Amino acid sequence: MKIPPCLPFVKGGWGDLKVTFYVMSMTFLFFYLPYFSLGIFFLGILYRFWRWAKTPVPLRIVVPPAPGSRLGVVRRLVGDVLLFPNLFRGDKLLWAGGFLLHIFLWLVILRHLRYFLYPVPGWVAAIQTLGLYAGYLIPLPLAFLLARRLVIDRVLYISILGDYFALVLLLAIAVSGVLLKVFFRTYIVDVKALVLGLVHFQPLMADAHWLFSLHFLLVMALLIYFPFGKLMHSGGLLLSPTRNQRANFERRFVNPWDFPVSYNALNLSSPEKYAQALVASRKGEKE
Amino acid sequence: MRMPVPAPGISIGASQSQRCHPAKEKDMLKIDLPKERLPDWKETMLKKMAEVLDKYRSVRLFLDICVKCGACADKCQFFLGTGDPKNMPVARADLLRKVYKRYFTWGGKIWGRANEAEELNEAVLQDWYTYFYQCSECRRCSVFCPYGIDTAEITMAAREIMAAAGVATKYVTEVVAKVYDAGNNLGIWPAAWKDNCSFLEEDLKDTEGLDIKFPVDAVGAEVLLVPPSADNFVNTNTMIGYAKMFHAAGISWTTSTYCNEGGNFGLFLNYANLKKVNNRILEAARQLKVKKIYWGE
Repeated sequence: MKIPPCLPFVKGGWGDLKVTFYVMSMTFLFFYLPYFSLGIFFLGILYRFWRWAKTPVPLRIVVPPAPGSRLGVVRRLVGDVLLFPNLFRGDKLLWAGGFLLHIFLWLVILRHLRYFLYPVPGWVAAIQTLGLYAGYLIPLPLAFLLARRLVIDRVLYISILGDYFALVLLLAIAVSGVLLKVFFRTYIVDVKALVLGLVHFQPLMADAHWLFSLHFLLVMALLIYFPFGKLMHSGGLLLSPTRNQRANFERRFVNPWDFPVSYNALNLSSPEKYAQALVASRKGEKE
Repeated sequence: MRMPVPAPGISIGASQSQRCHPAKEKDMLKIDLPKERLPDWKETMLKKMAEVLDKYRSVRLFLDICVKCGACADKCQFFLGTGDPKNMPVARADLLRKVYKRYFTWGGKIWGRANEAEELNEAVLQDWYTYFYQCSECRRCSVFCPYGIDTAEITMAAREIMAAAGVATKYVTEVVAKVYDAGNNLGIWPAAWKDNCSFLEEDLKDTEGLDIKFPVDAVGAEVLLVPPSADNFVNTNTMIGYAKMFHAAGISWTTSTYCNEGGNFGLFLNYANLKKVNNRILEAARQLKVKKIYWGE
């Protein structure tokens, strides 16, 4: 069934009102919300990147040991994004939790491409099994990271609402996803039809299981939250001056907003005061 | 062998009472800062904060992307030593972050305290003054942060913001003022610097029988040596070492009475003074018409 061009208005008793409400909410959830949240997601990320990128970097503050070439910087950033070497040096257990979480996340996201692409590319089909297991296991690192926040007194002290929100949201998405796969199995052809309809701007009316609706809704919430909270750490790393600068100290680093040195009246560093100080010291020499 | 230091349990407010002496009027005037805390300190600080956020990508980015993982928490020597949770690098940055969120982000304006945003008030300023001067800007935390968040940048930003409103410590401002007065951090006046140098010459002659000069303000020398001023005051063996090395290499050299200090306390105060103190090295080199600067700290 195609989405009607405007929201349906049904005359009649309570039964019809319930239908109206149901159709309206489904229309909102599977038609307006996906485009809205994707719009927020991409525009939000662009805005954040633009805001950071337009802020100047006045000094060279690269953290050693730093690469001297551009290629070295690329290598360092790729290593940072994929392997978290700094975290490994600092906290092995935290590294294990964070690393597994991110690897599982990538596998799960890539596995979900099979709902967006038709025909399904070979490599997406190939990681299907791996992606499934990643999906089953992803609640474990999430629960570990959550428990860590509550158990270690230092981390409990620094944790704020946003930290718990991100973890609980991801956990809810993961658990609802696993339940959909194992207990409340969705009819996969319908899901694909729905998603492909969205991809090709010809949305279909969905009549989904409530758990699927919940899973979908939470993902939309994640997309909307992503650009504004701490989840932007993923992109921010690439612009971090301590990581993306080169250690080429032979070249002068020019500060774009530099200003000339100013001297006030009481200062000895004006040339006249300097001359006086020199004369004074020479007097001492003669005596 | 490396001995791992176990992280202490947190004890709230443990180092709250350990605070630096406030700056003196005479020093603040010499370094182009308000002589005391301004009546409109809050507005001044927020204005300066907006300026700093637009001038330093590091500050804005580091305030935005911290995920509070706690990897830095047990890496700061000030936290390991005191157990005060506000000495964890992430919590130290949070002192600035909560004000940033309150005045400069939508999340903080909408959610308020639930999103850790907080008004800039007397208590927050007291915390800033206490804990941003319990950071030595050593950058150890940045080595362990997965995003390279450098708490030294945050500390420097906070001190810059405070300084603009006339809030600074005696130690730092006094030393910077001394550089403008005497040419070095220790306050060794030109006459004393020369006297020290001739004393070392005599000493070297008496003890080792070597005839090596310690030139001061020699115009046209090849190298201007800018040592840490303590080398001509307490660590004199280092100063003798410089002289021997130049003598053996046959390089003509000189020190300057205008600038004989490689250390720069402007780093602990604000950008303007950081630049001004460093610029003195260049000015001295131009005055003495040297070809090279050897500069250590």
